[in-house]
Amino acid sequence: MAEYVLRRALYGLLVVALVTIFVFLTLRLIPGDAVRLQLADAPGVSEEQVAALAAQLGLDQPLLTQLGTFVTDAARGDFGTSFQSQEPVTALIADRLPTTLQLGVMAMLVSVLLGVPLGLLSAARQNSWLDQGLRVVSVAGISVPNFWLGLLLVTYLALWFGWSPPLVYRTPGEDLGSNLVHMALPALALGVAGMAAIARMLRSALLEVLRSPFVRTVRAKGASETRVFVHAVRNSLVPVFTLVGLQVGAILGGTVILESIFGIPGMGMLIFESVQLRDYPVVLGCVVVYGAVFVLVNLVVDLLYGVIDPRIRYA
Amino acid sequence: MTEIVADRVPVARRTARRGLRHLIRTQPLGVVALALIALFVLAAVLAPVLAPFDPVAQHRESFQEPPSAQFLMGTDDLGRDIFSRVLYGARTSLLVSVATLTAGGIIGIVIGVASGYFGGSALDTALQRVMDTLMAIPGIVLLLFVAALLGPSVRNTVIALSLLVIPSFNRVARGEMLRIREELYIESARASGCSTWRILRRHGLPNLLAPLLVVTSLLFAIVIIAESALSFLGIGTPPPTPSWGAMLSEGSRYMEIAPWMVVFPGGILTVAVLAFNLLGDALRDFFDPKQQIR
Amino acid sequence: MSSVAEPAATPVPATDQDVLAVRDLVKHFPITRGLLRRTVGHVRAVDGVSFSVGPGETVGLVGESGSGKSTVARLVLRLLDPTSGSIRFEGRELTGMGARELRPLRRRMQIVFQDPVSSFDPRMTVFSVISEPLEAQGGTDARANRRRAGELLELVGLSASDLDKYPHQFSGGQAQRIGIARALATDPRLLVCDEAVSALDVSVQAQVLNLLRSLQRELGLSYLFIAHDLNVVRYVSDRICVMYLGEIVEQGPADELLSNPRHPYTRTLADAVATADPTVARLRGRRVVRGEIPSPSAPPPGCRFHTRCPSAFDPCRTTPPQPVAAGPGRIAACHLLTGEAAARG
Repeated sequence: MAEYVLRRALYGLLVVALVTIFVFLTLRLIPGDAVRLQLADAPGVSEEQVAALAAQLGLDQPLLTQLGTFVTDAARGDFGTSFQSQEPVTALIADRLPTTLQLGVMAMLVSVLLGVPLGLLSAARQNSWLDQGLRVVSVAGISVPNFWLGLLLVTYLALWFGWSPPLVYRTPGEDLGSNLVHMALPALALGVAGMAAIARMLRSALLEVLRSPFVRTVRAKGASETRVFVHAVRNSLVPVFTLVGLQVGAILGGTVILESIFGIPGMGMLIFESVQLRDYPVVLGCVVVYGAVFVLVNLVVDLLYGVIDPRIRYA
Repeated sequence: MTEIVADRVPVARRTARRGLRHLIRTQPLGVVALALIALFVLAAVLAPVLAPFDPVAQHRESFQEPPSAQFLMGTDDLGRDIFSRVLYGARTSLLVSVATLTAGGIIGIVIGVASGYFGGSALDTALQRVMDTLMAIPGIVLLLFVAALLGPSVRNTVIALSLLVIPSFNRVARGEMLRIREELYIESARASGCSTWRILRRHGLPNLLAPLLVVTSLLFAIVIIAESALSFLGIGTPPPTPSWGAMLSEGSRYMEIAPWMVVFPGGILTVAVLAFNLLGDALRDFFDPKQQIR
Repeated sequence: MSSVAEPAATPVPATDQDVLAVRDLVKHFPITRGLLRRTVGHVRAVDGVSFSVGPGETVGLVGESGSGKSTVARLVLRLLDPTSGSIRFEGRELTGMGARELRPLRRRMQIVFQDPVSSFDPRMTVFSVISEPLEAQGGTDARANRRRAGELLELVGLSASDLDKYPHQFSGGQAQRIGIARALATDPRLLVCDEAVSALDVSVQAQVLNLLRSLQRELGLSYLFIAHDLNVVRYVSDRICVMYLGEIVEQGPADELLSNPRHPYTRTLADAVATADPTVARLRGRRVVRGEIPSPSAPPPGCRFHTRCPSAFDPCRTTPPQPVAAGPGRIAACHLLTGEAAARG
């Protein structure tokens, strides 16, 4: 078990390191030195400043040296300084990351808290009108683009109920109520796809288990239908759990768009603004941190498998 | 043996025809999805014929008009006909997704098949490290990163989206190939003296076809959304080329006064995505009725 | 185990005319564990096996599941790479040959699998199944291939009109005939039958075995016939090799080996089938040897059979017995025999 955890953790680190190398090389291999272009484009920058900055950033060094410096600095949590605000990238990200994580967790809660009951209901009443209706909702749910759903929610809540989210974002520390109200709609828009996917997966996994010889055995032993169902649910949670891990990527990606629609100052907003301003140190830092969060969550999901399914022994 | 007449029809053709009838009976939703997709493709191909107006023509006397007999889906803030723009948007969407799935599909499948057939080798390990790296970056973030580096254009959108789909194709192709290579008929082919290349071509790819069709359909849905998301963020298809995402982005500023600017493009986008999701589901059930889990 | 690998200690008769001559064949599968995939042990699937197959001869290879007989089949055809040892086919050494060099030789040695249907690609018609070896060997003329495939189907007792059907439309016995037709497509000299009739009903088994025998007479084939069922092996074989845990414990002419077995393991097998009623024999055959076959990853020390041998004595637990001559054309590896030979002086 300990060896398995260690192996998975080391592999996660390797992937994060590879992400770091990937973004660095991609940036440098783009034709026409992207960093120089960006510096020269910015208004009010003189030639000496360009040269000075290039030297300061180590751009006069050979590529491999630059890569080595970048990776070792990144390992220490140092992604350089923003071109735009002159603040350390790490500080900028540290400032924004909690907001994005809050949104992500809320969206995940929407997915799981709505998706699991819907899936159970659908399977328990297989082929009823309720089941059919829920299945249609599920397929629609995975097909609706979250940004469109977000726009519709804002508009029609405003048009029909005269309600719109707060204009100014407040951190949970400043005003928890206002913060939660602000986050509710994007979390809902973001969580619907996950909800639908989980409901679909749980329904089919549960029906599969209910047809399996194992359930026949439980029935043959004289268990009540309720007990049979409980047994089956426990056994159908593994694929659902896998799906939750996969949803992390989709939800993390979705935060980028929904933060920009709802004016939430999270990492998504940061990377989006930085991309438009060609603030490369910030973009690089954000991509690496997104990758690290994704890898970390999936590592946790992997390790939790054993809790749900005792058959998995980490061989 | 009893159906003497039927025996004269070549078996392959007979099973194909029976398969089609079977598909209609058992997968009605799949057939609906196919019809919707056919409509989508027709709209895209015939946009210049079907569109009542030039998609970029600005009708000065009618800004943000609600849907009417003249403008079926209303007009936008510059007085352009939304219906025509939606048709041309389908064109952009289809072009980008077909190009992406062709390029990304070929690359991803080649990587996955090679990796799976030589599973456990150094080649497999190296390729899968790269795939894990691409998969660790959330889709939109990867798209933002690549699109930002390359600048907004249709070609660059395709490149960025290809990077998104390659790992998915790879995963399916590799997984299936790992299973197929353990099949007895692969060993049997080797014993007959077939070369590796011949085995991959004759037994590998054809047996991969069903799962790859399913994943292609589902990825179509994902790519259509992702293309819109990129245009929505203003880093995908550059204006004035009509694209659904850009239309949503323009409309989002006038949601309260001209909701049709957002409702129609978004609705059509959702229906297109839905059709590909339904088709993917139907194909999966059709190819393997027992295994409906994934 | 190392002593078994000494070439001098293997008194297996071999002549230059042998179609197949196997010497001291070894296949160990590594068991890996942990972060660095370090090898923690080996499955000794085949551990020093020597035998030969002459022209037009059928050699039976019999043993329980887990004895390594299917691994031998795959090694002989170089579908697996041996750990050590020598495989000579028509006088040419196969070990160390590259895939490209091997391919033309595959025309001359073919295999019939236990489960014909799963050895055919489910998407292929009977024609594709049979013509694949022809195409792989460069036969690209579709019309010639079709004619040849039709002839082969008639040869194995099916009809050329079956060419466009799918293998799963046939019964087990018919499917195995298709498997045989495929194996014969390139005119091989050696056919390895790996449990070729084990999945079939007894009555169908006899038909397929008779077909194999008549094909052998007609085409001058040599068979390496692998099965766990001694009844089946006895029916077709000129000579029999008995395998136990990766080693051949006894080999010799079929009739003598069965009527006068020298190795205790052979004796238990022979007793099991020496009843008039084959059904009774089959029923009894399952449980005549006590206990389960030990794991090939940790074979017992000394004689590998001693844990289940009714007549084991002290040396069996410590020293592996050497194969010795045990009558004309017969070899067995048992301390009872080594003692006898020593006493005779």
